[in-house]
Amino acid sequence: MMNRRFFLKSGGIALASFGMSLSAPSFLERVVLGSQTKGRRKTLIAIFQRGAVDGLNMVVPFGESNYYNSRPSISIAKPEASNAESAINLDGFFGLHPSLRSFKPLWDSKRLAIVHAAGSPDNSRSHFDAQDYMESATPGVKSTADGWLNRYLQSKPDPQESSFRAVSMTRTMPRVLMGRAPAVAMANMSEFAIRAGRSSGSVQTSFEEIYAQRNKDVITGTGRETFEAVNYLKKVNPSQYQPENGAVYPPGPFGNSLKQIAQLIKANVGLEIAFADMGGWDTHVNQGSGRGQLANLLLQFSSAISALYQDLGQRMDDVVILTMSEFGRTVRENGNRGTDHGHANAMFVLGNSVLGGKVYGRWPGLDNAKLNEGRDLALTTDFREVFGEVAQRHLGASDLKSVFPGYHLSTSKFKNFL
Amino acid sequence: MKAKHALVVTLIFAIIATQLVVVTAQKRGLTEEQRIVHVLNRLGFGARPGDVERVKSMGLENYINQQLAPEKIADTVAENKVKELSVLTMTTAELYEKYPQPARLVRRLQDQGMLPKDQDNPRQNEESRKVIQEYYKENGLEQPRRIMAELHASRILRAVYSERQLQEVMVDFWTNHFNVFAGKGADRWLLPAYDRDTIRPHAMGKFSTLLQATAQSPAMLFYLDNFQSVTPNANRPRAQMRPNAPAQQRRGINENYARELMELHTLGVDGGYTQKDVQEVARCFTGWTIFQPRGGAAGAMPLRGEAARRVPGTFFFNARTHDDGEKIVLGQKIAAGGGFNDGLKVLDILARHPATAKFIATKLVRHFVSDTPPPALVQRVAAAFTKSDGDIRETLKAVFFSNEFNSPEAYRAKVKRPFELVISAIRTLGADTNGGPGTHRWIERMGEPLYGYQTPNGYSDAAESWVNTGGLLERMNFGLALADNRVQGTKVDLTQFVKENTDKNKLVDVSLKTILAGEVSVSTKQTLLKQLDQSDPVAKVVGLILGTPEFQRQ
Repeated sequence: MMNRRFFLKSGGIALASFGMSLSAPSFLERVVLGSQTKGRRKTLIAIFQRGAVDGLNMVVPFGESNYYNSRPSISIAKPEASNAESAINLDGFFGLHPSLRSFKPLWDSKRLAIVHAAGSPDNSRSHFDAQDYMESATPGVKSTADGWLNRYLQSKPDPQESSFRAVSMTRTMPRVLMGRAPAVAMANMSEFAIRAGRSSGSVQTSFEEIYAQRNKDVITGTGRETFEAVNYLKKVNPSQYQPENGAVYPPGPFGNSLKQIAQLIKANVGLEIAFADMGGWDTHVNQGSGRGQLANLLLQFSSAISALYQDLGQRMDDVVILTMSEFGRTVRENGNRGTDHGHANAMFVLGNSVLGGKVYGRWPGLDNAKLNEGRDLALTTDFREVFGEVAQRHLGASDLKSVFPGYHLSTSKFKNFL
Repeated sequence: MKAKHALVVTLIFAIIATQLVVVTAQKRGLTEEQRIVHVLNRLGFGARPGDVERVKSMGLENYINQQLAPEKIADTVAENKVKELSVLTMTTAELYEKYPQPARLVRRLQDQGMLPKDQDNPRQNEESRKVIQEYYKENGLEQPRRIMAELHASRILRAVYSERQLQEVMVDFWTNHFNVFAGKGADRWLLPAYDRDTIRPHAMGKFSTLLQATAQSPAMLFYLDNFQSVTPNANRPRAQMRPNAPAQQRRGINENYARELMELHTLGVDGGYTQKDVQEVARCFTGWTIFQPRGGAAGAMPLRGEAARRVPGTFFFNARTHDDGEKIVLGQKIAAGGGFNDGLKVLDILARHPATAKFIATKLVRHFVSDTPPPALVQRVAAAFTKSDGDIRETLKAVFFSNEFNSPEAYRAKVKRPFELVISAIRTLGADTNGGPGTHRWIERMGEPLYGYQTPNGYSDAAESWVNTGGLLERMNFGLALADNRVQGTKVDLTQFVKENTDKNKLVDVSLKTILAGEVSVSTKQTLLKQLDQSDPVAKVVGLILGTPEFQRQ
């Protein structure tokens, strides 16, 4: 039962050649080691649109008349050059919501892929249950203790593991990262420090001395790790950060989260899994069409992601951004010019290694007879097929069975967007 | 026959062990003071100033026995502290009235003609917002988040101030064992009753009674979806015939509760049940539901007959949606036509199943003794559980009077969970708190907000699975903030440590003695002494001690 992290850390990596202490390879040394001895580190940025985004207005099937028949007041107009509020044509059938215009260049350069009609095979229309299932990646099974991203980390122990291998830019640890593998949750990098006003420095020094004791227990061990991480983060100097390549992050918590993820990636802190979320998508009432409530949310969403893409520049060779939302929304608009809880949805996959410029997944159509329970976009891609492809082809997971228990996932199920 | 024989032997052994333990514990090394500190930490949320002496004078065994009978302990201080928290005494129906769900209130005002019906989003319309605000004021309404803030405060206040410390520990234990997440739908309106009527009255009683109470609690019925589990053969009520009936009311059997009931509440995951058992148990519980789970519907038709006597937000058995066929659960036949009794029978089978005794014993030993429960102790505790027909006090006695509990190996061997850390820090300093959001926010930052765990397994009791860098950092920051009086709603008076502060060493010694019974390494003490040259040394020394590895343990 000895702490797994200690086992890994003391797993016999000779550090003497670096002229560093032998007591326990420090976090910083592991990062150095990681960048010298291994291939380039891959990073996944997972983004959750909490509240169930309306995938049909986000990635618009403008080629289908059923779409317009079902949504008399909230549909997105067919692409039309003179109409800034019309859909942005992708492939003659699908179009992007006009608020997603910053995604168009990424689509054109084949770095943005879309998987449509994807989601959970479970029919739950509860936000709570559906988010739970998407994060545990065990739809229908509630008692799964850990999230799928944490199970990925467990499945691939990393001897050079950094304290920042998995970071969630949220106040509390999201379900998707819960589990045995260590992960850090922080709403703001500047809070990841000893906070004692002007005495912070001297108090931190004292804590470091106290936690330098050689007890091999989970508390002192985690304490040493904590201060290595705190000190490293200080060098990153978050307050002085300047985005590169002219990237401008939109104001607000979501843009701020992505900006900090970019900082962590550039600081080479060993980040492999980053997580951020954005809420407000539960548009039951007055959802709007080319502009309005959903348009504003999508603008914030896409401009933050585009800024991140731009800011990371060439680093996007090793980064994949994956977006998800617990379920889609009803095909027909409701009596309040909104949409209710539905079923399948659209997911974005972005990165320089992504085979973009294509909408993946079989399109089931919006014909009445084709709808799930007569009301929602039917599901043709299980979200685990998308997660699994990212885990295996991007992150290099080899044990998909343990990441997605109870689900048989073979490469034949992959959509091949990577 | 063989198993029975073994059980008898185990029981005899357990009885002998109980009597031997006091003697052997002393032989093996814990001093009397350590044993008192240990009991105050594990049976409660740590010592307040003076507690160790108090227990010493009344005798440790007397103290333990007293804690096992909380109903005989006067608790006026704690009761006075929570008196102002009105949600604690309100019915669920009253909570819905006073803390309405905002969207439902808007609909009600629209139905009453106070707001225009065709408006898209009245809460974003200036005039409508005024109407809504005025309505809140006139009717003394408040936002629903107040409910959880008051419930959090009650848990914090009782843990800090109650003389019934073990009772509060057990409330925490069972609340976590029978976890319900406040963020799921109607649950925040249902949780005050859950704490008051379901967990608290049964926390030290019979396990079977507690189990039955949770099975019938609206909070659990909602959280694990049983309230909407109905037999597919049921006649549809007229409301369901509407073509546009909301999707949430789609009907059928829901297995969630049945599965978690066996996996997490009773038998344990390896308890020997099958998927078929899950399905059969789910059939037994069809019709166990909540009357108007989200409060009375606005503009609903007046109810007649039996329905008129039901109270919104409370349990009721809906015979019409119950599957009345024969079922077989864990090999036992449940005859057709049992109605409501089907569910009771299932609970009875489960509460008295040997796997349940072992599962509950394991969890109790992990909580009170060690993250790696000694199998021999688990066996004895399980035997005590079985022998007493699931009497929680008798089961706890088998834990508290065991060699293992009183061994040096168990001393300060458990890492405090965030709630335990915050409460014990407040208690050790004799701080005064209102239990408000300023305090709860720290528990949340450390990663374990009360009623904030999404999944039914509850927070883990084994440190390995949750101690992480971010959480530990917040523990240190909390200690600093508390000592520096920066925790909103909690006041600390540190003059107790500086009274005789002519000598620097004394400040450190007094602080260490109070907070950690003086048990800290030499190097830590050296580090603390260095802080004395800084400005405002008292707050820093105390804050640092609260952040030491030693104080994270109990």
